[in-house]
Amino acid sequence: MAASLNSEERAAYLAYKKHHLTREIKRHRSIYAIMLIPLAYYILFKYVPIWNGQIAFRDYMALDGVLGSKWVGLANFKDFIHSFYFGELIRNTMMYSVGKLVFSLPLSIILAIALYECVHPKLGKVVQTLAYLPHFLSWVIMYGILLSLLAPGDGVVNDLIKMAGGKPIDFLTSTKAFPWIVILSDAWKEMGWSAIIFIAALMGIDPSLFEAAMVEGANSWQRVHYITLPSIRPVIVVVLLLRLGTILDAGFNQIFMLYSTPVLSVADIIDTWVYRQGLLEFQFGLATAVGLFKGVIGLLLIVVSNKLTKKLSGSSLY
Amino acid sequence: MKKTLLVLLILTCLVGALFAQATSEQAAPAAPAKEEPVTIDLWYGAAITEAGPPPDDWVGYQIIKDKLNINLKLTALPSAENDQDVKIQAAGAANNLPDLFMVRRDTLMRLVKQGLVAPVDDMYAKMPVRTAKHYDASSIQNTTVNGHSYGFADPGSIAKNEGLLIRKDWLDKLGLAVPKTLDDLYNVMVAFTKNDPDGNGKNDTYGYGAFQEINNYEEWPGRRLEPILGAFGVEGTWDMTKANAGLNILKPEFYDAMVFIKKIQDAGVIDPNWLAYKKDDFRAAWKQGRFGIMREQNAAYAATSNYAPFDKNFPNGEWIVIDPPVGPTGKASIGPYTVNYRIYAVSAKAAKAGKLDKIAQLLEWMASDEGYYLLGWGVEGVNYTKDANGIPVADGVDKDLAFSGPKGQTVTQLRNMVFYNGDIELGSRYPTYQTATSGKTMSALTVLRDMQSRKWTPAIGSDMLPIPNADLKRFYEQGLAEFITGKRELTKANWDAWIAEFKKQGGQAWNDAGVQYAQDNDLLV
Repeated sequence: MAASLNSEERAAYLAYKKHHLTREIKRHRSIYAIMLIPLAYYILFKYVPIWNGQIAFRDYMALDGVLGSKWVGLANFKDFIHSFYFGELIRNTMMYSVGKLVFSLPLSIILAIALYECVHPKLGKVVQTLAYLPHFLSWVIMYGILLSLLAPGDGVVNDLIKMAGGKPIDFLTSTKAFPWIVILSDAWKEMGWSAIIFIAALMGIDPSLFEAAMVEGANSWQRVHYITLPSIRPVIVVVLLLRLGTILDAGFNQIFMLYSTPVLSVADIIDTWVYRQGLLEFQFGLATAVGLFKGVIGLLLIVVSNKLTKKLSGSSLY
Repeated sequence: MKKTLLVLLILTCLVGALFAQATSEQAAPAAPAKEEPVTIDLWYGAAITEAGPPPDDWVGYQIIKDKLNINLKLTALPSAENDQDVKIQAAGAANNLPDLFMVRRDTLMRLVKQGLVAPVDDMYAKMPVRTAKHYDASSIQNTTVNGHSYGFADPGSIAKNEGLLIRKDWLDKLGLAVPKTLDDLYNVMVAFTKNDPDGNGKNDTYGYGAFQEINNYEEWPGRRLEPILGAFGVEGTWDMTKANAGLNILKPEFYDAMVFIKKIQDAGVIDPNWLAYKKDDFRAAWKQGRFGIMREQNAAYAATSNYAPFDKNFPNGEWIVIDPPVGPTGKASIGPYTVNYRIYAVSAKAAKAGKLDKIAQLLEWMASDEGYYLLGWGVEGVNYTKDANGIPVADGVDKDLAFSGPKGQTVTQLRNMVFYNGDIELGSRYPTYQTATSGKTMSALTVLRDMQSRKWTPAIGSDMLPIPNADLKRFYEQGLAEFITGKRELTKANWDAWIAEFKKQGGQAWNDAGVQYAQDNDLLV
């Protein structure tokens, strides 16, 4: 609109807009005041640290500070990419990220739908509480539980295997079993918590849709198939896209607690490598470079998959 | 007129005030202003990690303030070494290290490279009592880089404080003799696994128990299996002899040791949980009677509270310390030993702030009788009394407040900063006692002396040799673990190929750098 005006009209229009904005801010000042808190959080903890991201391009020396440390260009990135285990680290990281996505997401959706469809409210609440509980346990405690379940000597699972005449399995130190333990234990721990967002989405579905379907004779499965799933599809897409953004975060705490030397070939992920190579060896430039690398990959994945999902399904993050 | 009077009055007042000021200055010279207390931020390694820090009203704070004019601020480091490293390195990266802090040598070396730690050469002379009791040429060398000492290496855990232990009650029940050779040991392991030594009718016992406990001078499979490696003459990461200096893994005998470990793994005579156990799991396992042979530390085995669960579970159970098994070529060793130091470093920031003298005063006071007993045992009559030999004991004081009790432990958290493994400490730390259930007479000190008398391999300084980068370390540990678990087939050809790759990945350079360092620093024997 402003483009079609002459200069005087344009100036008047801009003055009006400015005055209008000021008036709007004044009128909704309490809302803007509340907004200051998250704004400050994002500026302090998300945008200011971007400045320190340049450590990735420097040989960081604490005494010299960020700006005083020597500029080394892409050397830290090259160190990471040329490291002996680079291929294996990427493979393991992707394996766990994708594996967790493939298992956890459908399980969370199924749990949410099951709880939503449950006709016994008390049973639903008990199951929901039990499903949430593991989320609040740390991986240290989870390791203790897993050890007592899976230890080859006296684990409950191996006792059952031995009772059935089988040979005990070293679940935690076998390269074949370990990835499954990681993926399934994560699903067990986080399934209930992840289901919350889907339960919230399910609560938003218009009940008249279900009533109409029931009148038309739709059974439970048909209601889920034709009403529930399509209704929560936008939420599923958003969750999926957000998870893609952190695809290179395969769960440091979990793997750090569970892994041991015999399973390093299938357990070492980018974050555990950064812990050993970057933090324990005081190579903060390298650690930052890997963090930046992960961030860029995550951003690219979000942008590309967002466009794709928008084109294919009409739902998207932004 | 009024105006003139007013001016005169003001002038009179001013002159009077000046005169009064001058008189008061002459009459009473100003007292020197009391110096502001200096704050010393200390990150310490807790003596008892499960007990809390000294309480806010700990008498030590006031004594240190009154006598040294120091405001002492204490922060306990995490109990796990890796977590300690992370905390210290994160503080270092932000140039925010505390004034005085405990640190592992490897981490200290990284901090020195960054210029974050102050040289302390001049401070030794300022602490004559402490230096005489705690430091010698070897400890100073431990923290020396390019001719400067960068930390105080205090005596740490007692050397050779571990031993090979066997369940004598199991041997007696099965009519077996104490194993002398590696073959004997294997046969006992098999019997302990298959012949129901505890007589409970269940197949629930194993021969040997262990867990993966490694450090830079006892690489994988680590400390708990050193008596087996010792039978092949390849105990420890490094061979510190002049004739064969270098990484033990490069010796042909290491392959033979691997074959033996693989044999006990495949035969199922080592607790199969050993690869998954953490330290606490391992210790819980022997107290539950899961295995009958292990390498364990004297106090972890025999101290009152550590032995109590085993005594309760097995009142008739009995462990004895035995000699390490003799291998095929007559070699035997419990493992390598070095001098264990506990290093305290001073940050460059503290030196820049002019705190070096105050830190020296604090450390010197800790070495005085007052500091030694206060930090080591607490307040006499409250936390301890002295026996006829002058050794602090927990008799005659409130059980909770006694230095060994739950409240007393909190006020002795800094004791590792004053202890130097003297006779008083050992006598107090390891008293002779009667076990609660079986009434046995036990003493961790007697056990310690027994363990120290067994055959060990001197490897002084092997913990100072260069460490490999993280990738090479992983290659080393993962490769060995894969041979033992069967992921890689343990044949001579496979082993040689793996060793060749290890050398190519930096193993040869690591070996050469280690030998060079050992030669340059006169560490070889």
